[in-house]
Amino acid sequence: MISGRSNKKRGFIEAFELPPQTLPLLLWNDHPNDDDDDDDRKGVENSSFIAKKNDDGYCIVGWPPIKFRRKKICSHNRDDNDRTVLHNGSARAGVGGGVNPNSKYVKVKMVGVGIARKIDLSRHHSYQTLTNTLINMFGKCQQDAQSFKLAYQDREGDWLLAGDVPWRTFIQSVERLKILRIGG
Amino acid sequence: MAYSFPEEVLEHVFSFIHTDKDRNAISLVCKSWYEVERWSRRRIFIGNCYAVSPGIVIRRFPELRSVALKGKPHFADFNLVPDGWGGNVYPWIAAMAMAYPMLEELRLKRMVVTDESLELISRSFKNFKVLVLSSCEGFSTDGLAAIAANCSGRFSEESRISSFDLLSFATFFLSNQTKRYNRFELKPACEVDIGSPISLIPDFAHHWCPSTFPAWPPRCPSLRTLRLNRAVPLDRLPNLLRRAPQLVELGTGAYSAEHRPEVFSSLAGAFSNCKELKSLSGFWDVVPDYLPAVYPACSGITSLNLSYATIQSPDLIKLVTQCQNLQRLWVLDYIEDSGLDALAASCKDLQELRVFPSEPYDMEGNVALTEQGLVSVSEGCPKLHSVLYFCRQMTNAALVSIAKNRPNMTRFRLCIIEPRTRDYQTLEPLDVGFGAIVEHCKELHRLSLSGLLTDRVFEYIGTHAKKLEMLSVAFAGDGDLGLHHVLSGCKSLRKLEIRDCPFGDKALLANAAKLETMRSLWMSSCSVSFGACKLLGQKMPRLNVEVMDERGRPDSRPESCSVEKLYIYRSVAGPRSDMPRFVWTMKTPS
Repeated sequence: MISGRSNKKRGFIEAFELPPQTLPLLLWNDHPNDDDDDDDRKGVENSSFIAKKNDDGYCIVGWPPIKFRRKKICSHNRDDNDRTVLHNGSARAGVGGGVNPNSKYVKVKMVGVGIARKIDLSRHHSYQTLTNTLINMFGKCQQDAQSFKLAYQDREGDWLLAGDVPWRTFIQSVERLKILRIGG
Repeated sequence: MAYSFPEEVLEHVFSFIHTDKDRNAISLVCKSWYEVERWSRRRIFIGNCYAVSPGIVIRRFPELRSVALKGKPHFADFNLVPDGWGGNVYPWIAAMAMAYPMLEELRLKRMVVTDESLELISRSFKNFKVLVLSSCEGFSTDGLAAIAANCSGRFSEESRISSFDLLSFATFFLSNQTKRYNRFELKPACEVDIGSPISLIPDFAHHWCPSTFPAWPPRCPSLRTLRLNRAVPLDRLPNLLRRAPQLVELGTGAYSAEHRPEVFSSLAGAFSNCKELKSLSGFWDVVPDYLPAVYPACSGITSLNLSYATIQSPDLIKLVTQCQNLQRLWVLDYIEDSGLDALAASCKDLQELRVFPSEPYDMEGNVALTEQGLVSVSEGCPKLHSVLYFCRQMTNAALVSIAKNRPNMTRFRLCIIEPRTRDYQTLEPLDVGFGAIVEHCKELHRLSLSGLLTDRVFEYIGTHAKKLEMLSVAFAGDGDLGLHHVLSGCKSLRKLEIRDCPFGDKALLANAAKLETMRSLWMSSCSVSFGACKLLGQKMPRLNVEVMDERGRPDSRPESCSVEKLYIYRSVAGPRSDMPRFVWTMKTPS
């Protein structure tokens, strides 16, 4: 019984062309989506996310696509900052004391700026240093600072003007910050 | 009578041919070339461990010295492949232990490597020199200790084989550790370069106990690469550097300490002594005040990995602008647009940039990093060809600029964090932008898409991306036409991975033949029905069509029901036999 394979050398064409194409299992017409019921945004409605709550509180599994190790490391950075003990209390603002058991990051949004920032309030001891840092963070100069005011959201969810209560009280209750324009 | 060269001559000629592609080509010329080639091949790369069986490899290539294997699909990196899926290297080790006693190198990626496997490796290969485990899991320090114990002390300097002396040292304190690590990335574990002996201490992620770390051995003249564990404190570093001033690659441990001038000057002195230093990484828990200690070494640095360094843009700028010869930078998005502007101005040799998100799960964004940063770098760095960029906003105009600036781009991976994000200026999809990338960057071989994308982008890709080998798609497209464009147009496509796209049966079945020309196709949360999978499996005997579904047997649901995950790959080994309970192979009827 002669097998399908030949013992001769393969011709050039045979050797170097792609393997013979099998017939497609479904012939392609030009309008594949014609028999679909909905028209345009079908894909959006029907796609099913694998939506689970994972440790990070985010909904979509495996998104954004960063490696597990990287996720762990980043959250570790934050945890370690919170846990490690500082040796000799060098908590001067801006100095690399490095690790601070009391680091308190809060979100800051400036009206009109799309991207929010984060600031470590533990590095500050007065409203003055805080506002100076915020001004720099958002790229404004001291003169501009006059036309802004700082508001904060406290633990109860209320928005208040910063500066009315002593710094200590402020630090203990602040959850978020917002920079608003004075007047209109 | 056929004239041909004697086999010895052929073999000698073939010894100059190294790449797999060339070797594969010459083996197709004729039977005698096939024979000579297979006996003389020493090195093999198997991109999918299930595409072939150990037996088939051993039968064809009886004299291998170096084997590289990859296991799980790429999306396993992002938790999309459940545990127990497969990719266990043990059967390979067992087979190679018998067939390749002279094996020297083993490189594994995304495979399950048990202690048993490591122990077997350590006992079976007398000439073993190189073990690289990338993104592997399943082993503990017990296995590594076996490697260190059995592979060390056997090599001599005269034969220019590696020295594992430092690893036997590592065994001393490794043996104190008995914890089992599930998610373990070891990269590279013990890598050796023949001719310039190198040893590494593995950089375990978290669990290495610094208290068992004894005093450093007197001198390590052959040490080229050292990556420290995060637990190794900064004040140890100057001493280490002084003992190994010839270091080429350094991964620091924790880069933080209280600010003490004597530690700083000691560190700076040590760095200025390291004249060969080309690569820096680590920088865990970094304290900005200590960064200037690194400056003396910066002019020689070509690779900088700051992707774990949580420092802000001003400090990053100061560091990066010192490194005029930088070719590769990995950094967190703390660098911001201003930092990328500075990078573009200072580092004209930059070839690869990766910007990782500092707060990936924060929808609002915490840093001033936008599309503009990437545009700046694409303008300022003429050699930039490899990009991985996480950001929160993008425009078609920016992508078009990048494409026109950098037609030499070969790898372009953009991740806009919020799925289906539009061009924020025009509110349009980003089809045109990515279209420009594939149109202008003719050598592009890897592309990852994000943002709002319709079928149009796939039409551009199918039309222009002729050298594209790997494409990653998520939350994109309108229907089957998109997938059809890619499968029918991308001539060089080898790996396609898709998640959460409305691609269904038609495109897949119409392009079934294409799948045999590719390494693999992954589709999860798409609209491919069980019926289509069965049909594909039946008609395509050289494809393994694996359905993954944690909801239970796919035939307990209607055939028109979509499968959760689909992994299709070509194979000469037939369906695999080690599937877990949530994977089903669509078999060819016998």
